[in-house]
Amino acid sequence: MDEAIQKQVGAGNLATGIFAAIAGWIVPGLGHLLLRRWGKAAAYFLCISGLACAGLVMRGGVFAAGAQDLFDRLGFFADLGTGGFYLLAHWIQTAGPDVAHATGDYGTRMFATAGMLNLLTVLEAYEIGRGRRT
Amino acid sequence: MTSLFGSLTHFQALTFFALVVSITFAFLSKRGTSERVKYVLLALLAFLLVAIGIGWLMYPFSQ
Repeated sequence: MDEAIQKQVGAGNLATGIFAAIAGWIVPGLGHLLLRRWGKAAAYFLCISGLACAGLVMRGGVFAAGAQDLFDRLGFFADLGTGGFYLLAHWIQTAGPDVAHATGDYGTRMFATAGMLNLLTVLEAYEIGRGRRT
Repeated sequence: MTSLFGSLTHFQALTFFALVVSITFAFLSKRGTSERVKYVLLALLAFLLVAIGIGWLMYPFSQ
């Protein structure tokens, strides 16, 4: 590891990591934006927001809290990963879910995948904020 | 956006999903533009080939 990277890696702290992680969870890519990772911030925002919005527009289902079924509970945690999009889901998806058709079913998976991808980017933002990753 | 995504075919939806996931994984796991572009192309191709392969394998059971 060269000197510049080593300096950059050691620059973080716990508070920065947690702040970046929370910001990145609420808005995909925001954590990286605050950490001045412009390219990653733009890519994550476009990809994850695009996937989440596509899932909602395709009338995919959004899992609610307090479900009895284990798969629904897992789905809820995956959906929750989209952060702000989960809270705005009912506003974006004005027509409501329609999982009886294949398009709606795909939308459900796309929204859950967006949540899982966002959780991965949140972990990366935390690691960068902590100074463990460049 | 509703008219665009509401009328996607199965293959178009699959391609969009594969492209977006590939790009995100490329930025998560690779450094440098050329490495990322290579990763996106390979992952996208793998997604599409596997999906089409599984589709062909499942076809006899749909009859």
